[in-house]
Amino acid sequence: MLYRRRKLDLPRGELDTPVLFPVRNIGKRSSDNTPTYVGTIPEFSAAMINARSIRNRDPMWQRISNGVTLREEMDVPEDTIVFADSGGFDFANEEVDTTPAKTLDTQRQLDADILGTVDIPLSRENRAAENQRRIDQSIEYALKASDHHDGKGLLFASVHGYDPETIRNNIQYLEKNGEFDGFALGSMVPIRTDYKKVTKLILSARNATDKHLHVYGLGGLVYQPLLLYLGVDSFDSSAFIRSAGNRNYLIPGFGGEELRNIEELDRLPCPCPVCGQKELDEIREDRTALTQHNLWALATELRRFRYVAESDRDVEEYLDLRFSGNKVTKRAYETAKQQMRRLT
Amino acid sequence: MSDAFTITDEQQDYSQYDLDANPFPYSPVPTEDPGIYCGQQHVSDKISSTVSSMLSTGKSKHLVVTGKYGNGKSHTLKYTRSLLRDRDDVIVGYVAQPGDGFLDIYHEFVYDLGFNRLQEFAYEFLASVARDVTDTNPIGASGMESLIDEGDVLLSEIVPEAIRRLSDVTKFADFARAIIHMVYEDTNLYAWQWLTAEGIRYEQRKEMEIHSALDDDTMGVRAFTALKNMLLELGYTGIFVFVDEFESIARLSPKDEQATLNSIRHLMDQNSSGLCMLFGCAPEVWQDVMSEYHAFSERIGEEVALKPLTSENLYELVRDYLDQERLSSAENEGIDPFSEEALDLILQTSQGNIRQVLSMCSRILDDAAESQENKITAAWVEDNI
Ligand SMILES: [Zn+2]
Repeated sequence: MLYRRRKLDLPRGELDTPVLFPVRNIGKRSSDNTPTYVGTIPEFSAAMINARSIRNRDPMWQRISNGVTLREEMDVPEDTIVFADSGGFDFANEEVDTTPAKTLDTQRQLDADILGTVDIPLSRENRAAENQRRIDQSIEYALKASDHHDGKGLLFASVHGYDPETIRNNIQYLEKNGEFDGFALGSMVPIRTDYKKVTKLILSARNATDKHLHVYGLGGLVYQPLLLYLGVDSFDSSAFIRSAGNRNYLIPGFGGEELRNIEELDRLPCPCPVCGQKELDEIREDRTALTQHNLWALATELRRFRYVAESDRDVEEYLDLRFSGNKVTKRAYETAKQQMRRLT
Repeated sequence: MSDAFTITDEQQDYSQYDLDANPFPYSPVPTEDPGIYCGQQHVSDKISSTVSSMLSTGKSKHLVVTGKYGNGKSHTLKYTRSLLRDRDDVIVGYVAQPGDGFLDIYHEFVYDLGFNRLQEFAYEFLASVARDVTDTNPIGASGMESLIDEGDVLLSEIVPEAIRRLSDVTKFADFARAIIHMVYEDTNLYAWQWLTAEGIRYEQRKEMEIHSALDDDTMGVRAFTALKNMLLELGYTGIFVFVDEFESIARLSPKDEQATLNSIRHLMDQNSSGLCMLFGCAPEVWQDVMSEYHAFSERIGEEVALKPLTSENLYELVRDYLDQERLSSAENEGIDPFSEEALDLILQTSQGNIRQVLSMCSRILDDAAESQENKITAAWVEDNI
């Protein structure tokens, strides 16, 4: 097992890893209504935000330029740790409208603790030549960011590739030619249902560097235990918001359940501060409550894994059980286990 | 009987014959890398001149070695291959028999080169590109591989350029992509299967952006030519193809036989440089090919025939084999413990067939050692055959 515990030394203090960065859609027009979670769940004192959408949201950017802090805009304490992603995800379909220097400048103005480099995501549907070009471009952006980085906040180089050689090669190349505090693996979302491939790619990244490894976008209930098992140090997820939008109730150990399938229940099988007190009918009517519960579900998943790992229990036995309910995820985990065996 | 079998791991003792071991091959099948060639001078001369001419001028040249079954065609081809394999400027592939058509010849040839070799070519090609477009100077395949692993070069920088150049050199973009995919562990097995014409599923091809299927003789000729052009580009002098048991094309339908010969002819026409094909063929089948398919035989041009062994050939052959295991190197003990008459009898019994001669020598030497016979005479051979 590659699971590991570290500490990230950040401008706002230390952050224990592995850690989940809940995504805050601030700046995105549709979803400024993410409920406040900072402070409600102790280990989630961090957030992942999209630097580009904040910069492109005029009134908000004006205020920030005039001295209002990002944390004030987010309505969270000033010591909230922020991972500012460049917003490269949107470049899958849009023109790149920034430069590494401009993005760094935005990230600095947001007083971000962790800075992701500008990148252009890949798609499996792309021609290989197009993906090669994007990989090459992302590397160039990362190296430029390294040149411009003043050392305030940690700089994570975004890495993309759909085969282990490319990922290994990119990480080694970046190590040689730039200065980075960690690496962030992108482009996994479009291929997330190909568990075997995703597992392989993450393992190749994990083996290429001992530095902090973040995986973009795969922090949902199913992937979380797999990522922990593979030694990933951090991940982010918006699953708790998206699921709530779809009236989907996340249950640690099981996955998601549509609320309409369990209408007869009075009480939900979760002792979190939301479900512990409220009845199902109340939660159904209250999207914020559902979102908060879903976040608790992600926290529970993480806590359980840590508990198993710390308490000398057999992690693989736990995961055997954890994944036994679903054929697809079970196979994914079995694959990960095999690939791990081959490594050690 | 309780002692019908005596099974022991004790080594038979040949020291009474001043031998360390029995030098003759037990199995009549030619060994993969024969250390001895006691063939016939006119044959080795002809092969040498064909091979040397290709090596020195770079111009393609081909040869047919005819001989009856057991006269040493395979041995001759394999011995020549073992000599050529020591040179690092040529590529040699052995095809045990032509199969059902040219695609089978192509398949066997690439298979004989092997997965690792093909992967090395891919790295060598990437190395040539890396030397041009980066500051690095990778030496050979392994040098290139470690530059990639260590992150000294960026794959996404050199791969598109490598595919572009290799497509240019080979005029076969799918081939170029397949070769480059040999360096990716996720796809190298599919790439290998495509390159060996084993056939892969459409989705697997799609992942490598390979549009065509390598599944008929025409594509086989195209791929073969592409492979050769790539190797010449990499600085190799040429590519040697040894096709053994060529007589087996006679069992194909006339249509398939003609198609096979036509494909080989096309291959030769498209490769006027850097290609040397050596065929081993039974004389009667070669006669038919010569008379019926002029276009083909014209291009081969040269033929050399292996004759059955003579007594003198045999003495020489046996002496060379015995010399391999002699304990005292100073003395020349000739064909001892065999007498000339004994060898004559063996030759006669085996009708000049080298394979049979060698396996008889092996068995007789074992028997003689076991019964502590000092000298192997004709009479003793007669009693013990
Ligand atoms: Zn709950």
